[in-house]
Amino acid sequence: MNSYQQYIRNFCIIAHIDHGKSTLADRIIENTGLVSHREMKEQFLDNMDLERERGITIKLQTTRLIYKAKDGHDYIFNLIDTPGHVDFTYEVSRSLAACEGAVLIVDATQGVEAQTLANVYLALDEELEILPVINKIDLASARPEEAKLEIEDIIGIDAHDAPLISAKEGIGIEEVLEAIVAKIPAPKGNVEGKLKGLIFDSYYDNYRGVVIYTRIFDGSVKKGDMIRLMNTKKKYEVTEVGVYSPGPVTVSELTAGDVGYISASIKQVADARVGDTITLDSDPTAEALPGYKKVQPMVYCGIYPAEGEKYENVKDALEKLQVNDAAFHFEPETSTALGFGFRCGFLGLLHMEIIVERLEREFNLGIITTSPSVIYKVVMNDGTVEMIQNPSNLPSLMDIDHIEEPIVKADVMIPKEYVGSIMEICQERRGKMLHMEYITETRVQLHYEMPLNEVIYDFFDALKSKTRGYGSLDYEFIRYEKSNVVKMDILLNKELVDAFSMIVHESKAYYRGRFVCEKLKEFIPPHQFEVPIQASIGQKVIARETVKAYRKDVLAKCYGGDISRKRKLLEKQKEGKKRMRQFGTVEVPQEAFTAVLKYDDNK
Amino acid sequence: MGLYIHIPFCIRKCNYCDFLSFGGVSEEGQNAYFRSLLHSIKTYHEIYSNQYYVDSIFIGGGTPSLVEAGLIEELMAEIRSGFTVDQNAEISIETNPKMLTKKKLNTYLEAGINRLSIGAQSFDDALLRTMGRVHSAEDVLENYMLARECGFRNVNIDLMFAIPGQTMSVWMDTLEKAIGLEPEHISFYSLQMEEGTPFFSMLREGELKEIEDVLDREMYHRAIELFMNSGYQHYEISNAAKEGYPCRHNLKYWSMEDYLGLGLGAHSFMDGIRFSQMEELAAYTKGALRKEKGGAFVAWEHKNTRQDDISEYIITGMRKLEGINLRDFETRFEQTIEDVFSANWYRLQKYIDEEYIVKSAENMHFAIKGIDISNTILTEFV
Repeated sequence: MNSYQQYIRNFCIIAHIDHGKSTLADRIIENTGLVSHREMKEQFLDNMDLERERGITIKLQTTRLIYKAKDGHDYIFNLIDTPGHVDFTYEVSRSLAACEGAVLIVDATQGVEAQTLANVYLALDEELEILPVINKIDLASARPEEAKLEIEDIIGIDAHDAPLISAKEGIGIEEVLEAIVAKIPAPKGNVEGKLKGLIFDSYYDNYRGVVIYTRIFDGSVKKGDMIRLMNTKKKYEVTEVGVYSPGPVTVSELTAGDVGYISASIKQVADARVGDTITLDSDPTAEALPGYKKVQPMVYCGIYPAEGEKYENVKDALEKLQVNDAAFHFEPETSTALGFGFRCGFLGLLHMEIIVERLEREFNLGIITTSPSVIYKVVMNDGTVEMIQNPSNLPSLMDIDHIEEPIVKADVMIPKEYVGSIMEICQERRGKMLHMEYITETRVQLHYEMPLNEVIYDFFDALKSKTRGYGSLDYEFIRYEKSNVVKMDILLNKELVDAFSMIVHESKAYYRGRFVCEKLKEFIPPHQFEVPIQASIGQKVIARETVKAYRKDVLAKCYGGDISRKRKLLEKQKEGKKRMRQFGTVEVPQEAFTAVLKYDDNK
Repeated sequence: MGLYIHIPFCIRKCNYCDFLSFGGVSEEGQNAYFRSLLHSIKTYHEIYSNQYYVDSIFIGGGTPSLVEAGLIEELMAEIRSGFTVDQNAEISIETNPKMLTKKKLNTYLEAGINRLSIGAQSFDDALLRTMGRVHSAEDVLENYMLARECGFRNVNIDLMFAIPGQTMSVWMDTLEKAIGLEPEHISFYSLQMEEGTPFFSMLREGELKEIEDVLDREMYHRAIELFMNSGYQHYEISNAAKEGYPCRHNLKYWSMEDYLGLGLGAHSFMDGIRFSQMEELAAYTKGALRKEKGGAFVAWEHKNTRQDDISEYIITGMRKLEGINLRDFETRFEQTIEDVFSANWYRLQKYIDEEYIVKSAENMHFAIKGIDISNTILTEFV
């Protein structure tokens, strides 16, 4: 470690949602150099409308601050912001890998909660120094001593001199800053060594192309260098290096211990993968940094243009979204009912909801999302093999010898008290337990073989729901296996609507069919005639519901001279109709598709 | 032009009412309101009286008959002093059966009011109580007789159906009683559960059961049948009248004609601009003290675009059973209706084929079964 590194502190803030992470980040920024109090925007590090609305951070932002400590030295604080939501675990883990320490916020009125634990485990996995901080001590219901005890008992780290603060009121902030200096280790690494940098995030800027957020572990990088991304094996020339403080500030070079950004004429974020290692092309380091993996979509669905919407517009929007979201995948797909669309992969339901909402709001698109599907291996009587992902393309049963479905190895990590209920949901989903082990005294890892179509349907959400957010899932494809799967169709007013067709295991067909019919009945509005909803396998109807007809839709009084009120009512009614999709004689709203897709806690 | 005046006072609000009105306002408050109202009339006639003369007046509310007769007298005087009122103008006032006295009625007549609207709603005392009405069936009868005695020759009775607890036979009985009185005009509205009303909360709590759509429509159709067999013309969705007695003022609303609405929350449509008066009682009443010019009373204003005009022409015109004149449409908008709505005409054609709408080259109107789902059909035109 050299004298430069000695005065660097790389840390992030981790906490359960609403325990005060953003407020503390704001206060830290306020109390150090480079961003003046006046210029500060509320919750500065959260920067998208959607995030403001939902109160959660999605995109990462990192800031370099200068803190003049009590010992008289100027310290460089690299505050790395992390997404809070469980869907983005991989991204969180990579930004943690860029740090030496983590400030752990625990709300004095709530104590240690799910997200806290989940992220602490991630931090411990990265061998970070955890600095606990008890927040919201200004509130009447604050119990700081209990919070400290919980930290010690549940997490197992020493919290007796954890700073007691109120981020909102600005109490104890200096104590936190001093603790960061004292407790979080300075970065190590060889400045003279071969360049080894971690990409912990990237985004696409209209003017600068893809910008990489990086932590340099060894060596140095400057403008003009030819870098190599070790996992994607691509080379680029660096056009700019700098730090965010809070806006971009160019520097001459980034060296071991630094956190900053690199621009290198990279065209797509997909080329600058989170977790990848940067090195010099001319003198590459021997080994890439550990922990890199290609993000796996957990949830898939079909996205189609709604009636009246242009396919091209949807395609354009998806492409634009992918520019800044390496975790979002899509490829073309077709449906007899819905026409041309896309099959999309997401990290989770929240990720999907966010993408769908962005498509609807930012891009102003009318879209329909459908039931998800996996790829089945269909072995025909004559021996040929067809890979089918669209249930409507399933060949005639007479020609099929057998069908195989993809099986994955699923690793589920949960606190031990949930083992029973998780084993239950795995079994419900045709999982076969391989083995189980205790990672720590309180954490268990279960290894299952499970059909992928069970995993993507709603397993992830069931897991999160049953473990109150503490559980995590990792899976990888292992093989295809013969299976008794059938094609289940949904008929509306006696007409088959292929958008709802799905391939299910025959043991699940009845329950799935009932569920879909019930959900559709909830969402399909009354029509001028009765609408029977049926689930069928082949010719056999296995479930049905009926939507009663409506007889009345008239405005008795005309509100006197208030004509615009009437007009607005009709316009609103018309807007409601826009989100409808016509299937033969039946109109189905967009919400129906999502509802059929969503995990039902009561199932 | 038509002139609408709003008097937002009631003894107390009925359980289903979501109109702009207030129970329990003191006489002082009512007086103060009138000062503002009269002032606004003065201000507005400065704007319009040169171009327009008034050929219909409608005093509505609330319960206009609640206030002291003298105030109505003053009101009419102020109107006449500023505007030119046609001698054959239709001048209506809304009344509640409990509040009418000979004195009031005579004052109204002397002030030139020639049409009386009686808010009966029902002839069933139990239902009247459910609705929170302050009068009884007997009161309706009494007040109606009184009105005739005083010399009113154009009387309207307001009726309501699809009231929770109402049966078909009670409704038929109400209709027969109303028709038996031989008013010139009958308005019949199906009860709508509006958010914010006691009925709505009661409905939500399960204390009230809504009348089923099927029964609601049957009540409506049987009423129309009865009217037609009793010499009444069903001329608008919710209105029937003897020949020569449709409400001329309301017809303006459904024919895109000019009307000025003054008083709290009143709506206007003048020179292609829709605007409305402010809705806060206190602020409105203070207006007089500040001597605001006409514009300051206005809460909202919108100049109709061509598209607005087209939509409104259709959605208001189709409220009349005679529907809209397509030649007139073409002249006004320099386009045929099929052309304007060419994108979704195929859907409208379905309604025509299935006889919800009756269309010829000259005319388009709803069939009775089309009225039942008129909202659905009209969304095609906005």
